[in-house]
Amino acid sequence: MTTHHSTDVEFDASDASLSRFDLVKEGARRDGVQIVHYAPRFPVPGTRAERRIERVLALLFLLTGLASTAFVVAYIAWPWKYGEGDSTYRSLYPFYTPVLGATLGLALLTLGLGIVVWSKKLLPEEVSIQERHDGPSDSTEQVLTAATIMNMGDELGLKRRRFVGLAFLAGAAPLGAVAGALLVGSLIKAPTQDGENIFFTTGWDPKHNDGKPVRLTHEDGTPIRPADVSVGGQITVYPGIPHGASNKWADSPTLLIHLREEDAEATLKNVKEVNKGSQWQNFVAYSKICTHAGCPASLYEQQTNRLLCPCHQSQFQITDNARPIFGPASRALPQLPITVDDEGYFIATQDYKIPVGPAFWERP
Amino acid sequence: MKRRKIDVRALPANSAKALDERFQAATPLRRLMNKVFPDHWSFLLGEIALYSFIVLLLSGVFLALFFDPSLREVVYDGSYAPLRGVEMSQAYNTALQISFDVRGGLFMRQMHHWAALLFMAAIVVHMFRVFFTGAFRKPREANWIVGVLLFWMGFLEGFGGYSLPDDALSGTGLRIASAIMLSIPVVGTWVTTSLFGGEFPGEVILDRLYIVHVLLVPGALLALISVHMGLLVKQKHTQWPGPGRTNNNVVGVRMFPGFAAKAGGFFMIVFAMIAALAGLFQINPIWLFGPYKAAVVSAASQPDWYVMFLDGSTRLFPAWEIRFDFFYGDGYTIPPIFWPTVVLPGILTMLPIFYPFIEARFSKDKAVHNLLQRPRDNPLRTALGAMAIAFYVVLLISGGNDVLADKFHISLNAMTWAGRIGLLILPPLAYYVAYRIALGLQQHDREVLAHGVETGIIRRLPDGKFVEIHQPLPTGNGHGDEHGLDYAGWVVPKKMNRLGALAPTVKGFFYPIEKAGPAPQPRQIEEDRDREEITSGH
Amino acid sequence: MTSEQSKRPLARLVPGGARAARGKLRRRLSAAVRLVAALTVVGGLYTAYAPGVGRAEETVKLSEGAAEGKAIYEVSCITCHGRNAQGVEGRGPSLIGVGSAAVEFQVNTGRMPLARQEAQAERKTPQFNQEQAAQLGAYIQELGGGPQLPDSQSLDEEIKKAQGSDKILAHGGELYRVNCSSCHAFSTGGGALSSGKFAPSLEHSTNRDIYAAMLTGPQNMPVFGNNQLSPDDKAAIIAYIQNLNENKATDPGGWNLGRYGPVPEGLVIFLVGIAALVFATLWIAGKS
Repeated sequence: MTTHHSTDVEFDASDASLSRFDLVKEGARRDGVQIVHYAPRFPVPGTRAERRIERVLALLFLLTGLASTAFVVAYIAWPWKYGEGDSTYRSLYPFYTPVLGATLGLALLTLGLGIVVWSKKLLPEEVSIQERHDGPSDSTEQVLTAATIMNMGDELGLKRRRFVGLAFLAGAAPLGAVAGALLVGSLIKAPTQDGENIFFTTGWDPKHNDGKPVRLTHEDGTPIRPADVSVGGQITVYPGIPHGASNKWADSPTLLIHLREEDAEATLKNVKEVNKGSQWQNFVAYSKICTHAGCPASLYEQQTNRLLCPCHQSQFQITDNARPIFGPASRALPQLPITVDDEGYFIATQDYKIPVGPAFWERP
Repeated sequence: MKRRKIDVRALPANSAKALDERFQAATPLRRLMNKVFPDHWSFLLGEIALYSFIVLLLSGVFLALFFDPSLREVVYDGSYAPLRGVEMSQAYNTALQISFDVRGGLFMRQMHHWAALLFMAAIVVHMFRVFFTGAFRKPREANWIVGVLLFWMGFLEGFGGYSLPDDALSGTGLRIASAIMLSIPVVGTWVTTSLFGGEFPGEVILDRLYIVHVLLVPGALLALISVHMGLLVKQKHTQWPGPGRTNNNVVGVRMFPGFAAKAGGFFMIVFAMIAALAGLFQINPIWLFGPYKAAVVSAASQPDWYVMFLDGSTRLFPAWEIRFDFFYGDGYTIPPIFWPTVVLPGILTMLPIFYPFIEARFSKDKAVHNLLQRPRDNPLRTALGAMAIAFYVVLLISGGNDVLADKFHISLNAMTWAGRIGLLILPPLAYYVAYRIALGLQQHDREVLAHGVETGIIRRLPDGKFVEIHQPLPTGNGHGDEHGLDYAGWVVPKKMNRLGALAPTVKGFFYPIEKAGPAPQPRQIEEDRDREEITSGH
Repeated sequence: MTSEQSKRPLARLVPGGARAARGKLRRRLSAAVRLVAALTVVGGLYTAYAPGVGRAEETVKLSEGAAEGKAIYEVSCITCHGRNAQGVEGRGPSLIGVGSAAVEFQVNTGRMPLARQEAQAERKTPQFNQEQAAQLGAYIQELGGGPQLPDSQSLDEEIKKAQGSDKILAHGGELYRVNCSSCHAFSTGGGALSSGKFAPSLEHSTNRDIYAAMLTGPQNMPVFGNNQLSPDDKAAIIAYIQNLNENKATDPGGWNLGRYGPVPEGLVIFLVGIAALVFATLWIAGKS
């Protein structure tokens, strides 16, 4: 804080001969501020120029009032319910929010302009100079404060009573740990369930289906036959378990692709060890969850057989084990081993062989 | 002047007295009102952020009355027909209700969102101002650091708000956030399951995010803003160098009456801008996105602009994965997403925090600086800043590169490569160009100081030579000076008859007041106002 | 499933397939055997195509419309797609089995005839009117079969009906978000694909265009056959898309900035918000 300017001259605030501005100046002086220039904008009151500005101000503030009133009226009376009413109501509805914005914007703008114009045009011109007093404190002050702090150490006798100090630490540290323990202990959750790392399993694991292989289903749970997917087509499938399509199984959405004959052959030819036996005829199923950041990689180009992720533009080559060929993803999309059961529906013969979704530390 | 005379004087005076008896407020209150603020447009940029924050608090309270951040499944039965009957979370349901079934709710939602964008934009612009003028130097390093923290707090707050409505864009953003947490070496999976209460998305994340968004981070923002303002008051404002302005004073207007009125008016103008944006420009039309489903995504999925640079860095970073394979077990992985989303932000936090100390160390400058530097007067800093901006802008553009690729028919892959190459080439280029420009401007200033302003008048000398006439600058002693003026880091006039280009805050400050006086004065008034003239700063 | 499967045996017979089958062993055979083999291949090809061609030209008369279509085909399409729509390698694919749906989509949206070879054919002003497109479609249909479109009037009526039902609209929305939005975006505005390809905007697409595109999977778009998305599902999706398109001008909440998402929003906050407020600061702090 600025230090007090000592009242070097006697100042009598009750002196009747002092104008208000004299008082202001004295106040400023005591606060370390020198008003070096202070002049009215219109030394002669009531000139035409001044009146013009007053009229402008009045107009601005009246506009504020008008626009505010308009806002309230529009807020209450303007059609505001989506998809209701007759055709006039519907045609007016889209302008509800714009009208609110325009009226409130205008009200606030005119008010703001008015206040600024008032201060720029009517308040006196001013130049004031305030002294800074930064820099370090007086060295005596520093010493005195330091002594006050050290004194407390002396009085506590930490040097002499080392044993008490240690006991204090031994007591306080666990108390501090209480706060940490509460926070961490309540939130912490191991990435495991039933002894398995949850990042290694998905809804396709037969254990979620009483040990039976899980069917590939539509969002509504109906199973899928090979004839349901056209050549050059793709479909998002979910595990056929309760709530299989819900976000509870956010790691399970899978893209089932019906490749063209020649592409299917190429895919078989390129197949890697881990994906062997996963393809059923010309059908392949890859995890829809991008191995980079977990977005659904689902922009399938049926001619080039590329799969693009719209979040960070990783591109995967479907005919080559869904290997990443462009962008920041470093891992291929895991392939779901599929076949067709006795009733002619697609099933997953087992869970994904490698963890789906974004990579993590423990991922092999 | 029309000043309303309050004749019922007793009441206010008495209550003021009563207050002062209890709080001894007179001295500190007057001191505050007499605080002097320098007058320059660039000092108002931070205020935009402050006012946006106030709008955010107000609109946020409104939204909180109607929003329920629950992931409980409900069936939508609101006004928006194309979603009726769709299963969704209660969070998305209430966000839709605010948009369609609360009178003026959409307006308030849009106001909240636009205010958030403006808050972050103003923070960034304000930071540029502070950086390029050297306002962060001693004694204001701490306030600079608080500012950096404010940026990141705002970033978190914005991302939380973007994620709360649980529409498909929100969910995609959260999914990426979970992937970023997962990528942290050693503890990644534990951090993720702890925060999400299990595997993504779990059932608790929105409840937790909500309390972070409405209590923890706003509380932190409020505290940091208080510290920011408190330090500003304590340390006083910096000012541009100029006549009469020294390292030991502040030249400007007192808070009362001039500055407070202007600031109040400016608040209204900022508020007006947000209201107009909120009404006239649609933002985040969540009803188009649908509820978040793990299998649903849209082309051109983007975060808000202040997160976009990190999305850009993630898009540009090559697929470099680090593997640790040991003799036992399956080995360990550091995924590529770790570097652009965890390490880069870490660097981008630490570098600015330590910059004031690094600069002071290299320039061996331990002095207190209350006078700003023009960017041209510190070419090295300006060039470094330009380099940082180039780096940032490349990342920002890359964050929207799919939209650009689509709308301007450029190959997406080419955009990615352009970003990768641009990220390496453009910053050094920006450094070089900014450095040269700063030196060039400085040189020109020196020329004008030495020879005067170019007039464009060519005179032919008797011997046939042509010379351009320069208008010499006034030197303060009233006479032309053969040696010109010294370089002082002030604004130098570049045009004829504009010698007052320093923009004296008022007439009469730079010149003797008689010269600039208004039209003929019929009679002398206000004799009592004791004016002190200062003729010149020299 | 008729169209795609019927395409397969033909694919085996095109020149590329025959060449691949030629192995090391065959090269070692004597010239005479090679001649016989070559003759067998040529003969095989002839027997594969000649009857069809013969039927089309002689035995089974083309319908009147198809005959008109053939005339157009032989002027405008034959250069790339070859005689009898067998395709020309390196120029244009075979059209056998693509069906009238694909033809009408490509011609009605102006993508065909192609102006030049590009990464992707773009929508442009169609060169033929709808009737001519239908004739071309009829010709290709009668030549090789394949998926067909419902007539546009009944389709339009069905879409209109679907748009009136919240339930169908909502169902269409869900299908759209799972199957379509990843490429065409939530806003139907389209989006970028890899290496310069893109999913086009659906803003100006007719009901029939969208239907045909789903049914035939033009260019890189996946095929959504009728088994995968039933005609009712397709109608629901189209109803949702057209609902979004129609509402584009009347979106609540002001100008929708083209529905491009956070990118234009970020531009607005700097170009409108910050720019205007910086001018305000210049005025406020400026001399009066």
